Amino acid sequence: MSEEKIIEIRDLTRIYGDGAPIRALDGVNLDIERGEFLAIIGPSGSGKSTLLHQIGILDTPTSGTILLNGVDITKMSDRERSRMRNEELGFIFQYHHLLPDFNALENVMMPLLISGVKPSRARKIAREMLEEVGLADREGHRPNQLSGGQNQRVAIARALANSPDIVIGDEPTGNLDSRASDNIYELLRRLNREHNQTFILVTHDEQMAKKTDRIIRLVDGRVVEDSG
Amino acid sequence: MYELFIAMRHLTSRRRQTIFSVLAIGLAVMILMWSQAMMVGFTEELYAMTVDRMAHVTVEPEEDEDYIHLYRKLTEEIRSIDGVVGVSPVIAGQATFEHKDKNKNVVMQGISVEAHDLVLHITDDIIEGSFRDLDAIPNSVVVGDALAEKLDVEIDDTIDASFPEANPASLKVVGIYDSGTPQDATLAITSMSTAQDFLDVSDVVNSILIRVEDRERAQEVSDRIDALGYPASSWKETNPEIIQTLKLEGTSNNIILGLIILIASFGIVSTLFMVVMEKTREIGMLMAMGVSRRSIMMIFVLQSGILGLLGALLGVTLGAALATYMGSFTYEVGEEAMAGISTIPFVVRLQDAVTIVLFTFLLNLIGGLYPARRASKLDPVEAISSE
Ligand SMILES: Nc1ncnc2c1ncn2[C@@H]1O[C@H](COP(=O)(O)OP(=O)(O)O)[C@@H](O)[C@H]1O
Ligand SMILES: [Mg+2]
Repeated sequence: MSEEKIIEIRDLTRIYGDGAPIRALDGVNLDIERGEFLAIIGPSGSGKSTLLHQIGILDTPTSGTILLNGVDITKMSDRERSRMRNEELGFIFQYHHLLPDFNALENVMMPLLISGVKPSRARKIAREMLEEVGLADREGHRPNQLSGGQNQRVAIARALANSPDIVIGDEPTGNLDSRASDNIYELLRRLNREHNQTFILVTHDEQMAKKTDRIIRLVDGRVVEDSG
Repeated sequence: MYELFIAMRHLTSRRRQTIFSVLAIGLAVMILMWSQAMMVGFTEELYAMTVDRMAHVTVEPEEDEDYIHLYRKLTEEIRSIDGVVGVSPVIAGQATFEHKDKNKNVVMQGISVEAHDLVLHITDDIIEGSFRDLDAIPNSVVVGDALAEKLDVEIDDTIDASFPEANPASLKVVGIYDSGTPQDATLAITSMSTAQDFLDVSDVVNSILIRVEDRERAQEVSDRIDALGYPASSWKETNPEIIQTLKLEGTSNNIILGLIILIASFGIVSTLFMVVMEKTREIGMLMAMGVSRRSIMMIFVLQSGILGLLGALLGVTLGAALATYMGSFTYEVGEEAMAGISTIPFVVRLQDAVTIVLFTFLLNLIGGLYPARRASKLDPVEAISSE
């Protein structure tokens, strides 16, 4: 595998609140390479989600820098940040994060439409993605007509639709039973191998974490273990 | 334009709210459109009863002159002005009319019936006899019904006309008219030569009355005649109070009705605030998918704009239909009370419809900016994790 760094995090600190400030992230340093499949673990409140939001450009740090593909994302305008989220990042959240007014196919098409892809082409790509996650026959269903596992598969198809370099998931199997959870894990792993995309998954499931290439453990906003 | 796609889907997903919003706007706009049609109709009617019964432009003698001497040439010149449909030279003077033991001071007007009819439609007002006989019978006169009553004359009676410095004459009554104005008690109409003989003047007039096709262009025509060297004035100059009255009523009416639409639009705006709150998490998701703050704003502004546009189109259509329907009836009651108007004179104009639609659409676009801004200012992390 190439040694190309896709994410470089330097002294990243995120402090919440003014009165009694909480250091959700406290001087995090982290390098991630293209194609890595890694897990972020740690106790509740240790800063996992906060770190993920920083990498996903949904939040801005109190101090420190993040380079995505060599570009400093902490210094970008809203328009640039939006475009980067659309083209280079795919998000998978824990649950209920599909657009309820749109069916499965339309949900998967959405990132493509946002980036300006023609509807006919977006539809074609979205169909292929739904096929890859095994839901080709459910494209017309709305999120409330699908099971939790199916919703999560649609969310994965949507996260991957625009061929992002980086896919991030915040406890993507958190509300699924262990069988469905394993299936989702297998799916992500397969997609990771096929597309050579970088996967960063927050999980509290140690079993699942063990199956990844690398484990980052956070405690109190610091990296206390980096193994892989 | 995925923004439009998302906006439309939001609207169709909460169908009941959408229908309700469109109906509310539609109702307000319908009332505005309907009332505008009535306003325009009544304005038209009022013009028809006032301005269209007077000369649109009046030409007077040059300064320091009592008469227009070369009136035939001037009349021809005025006739050739674009938009002029009638030109009537008039010689007028005072006279004392006597019949039996009754007498009355009147204004005697000498006219050419055909020309004068083109300007003031006098033949429409005749109730007995005929204006045509003025030209056929020398020393004949047509009087108003009130004047006829006062002098106790009927058709074929003879009136003695006299005045200091005038040549006394015996005038035969050949017609009685009723214009419904106070003039009916003071105005007597004769042929031009009868009046000139009585007033002891040569072939001259002291005013020229003009009718134009479009009363709004009277000022233009008046200015053209001014330029020829004869003082002319349009109905707007001689009767400024008519315009003043109409303007005042029109403005206050439109302000009230504009407020109704404003209130209906507030409904849409407050609904949209609720929608933004309900959809907070989806807005967060859209942001995570790469929708910029600008586009988030657009998605919600479009929604209020579309609701406003649909409501306006519905309202304008209903209002126009209602006005047309009501305008097609004849009302028996109130014929007297409404000065002879027996149908409500609704006038539906395309320009009003377009103005109202644009106004409503813009109002809703602007109103939608507030909730849309709120949506675009959401913090993506908080929005995504909201319940
Ligand atoms: N918006 C916020 N305002 C204040 N404190 C916050 C906010 N978000 C997270 N925190 C705090 O930051 C710390 C890290 O939170 P988080 O990253 O969500 O932890 P994890 O995902 O590991 O459970 C926690 O102490 C949490 O209470
Ligand atoms: Mg978390």
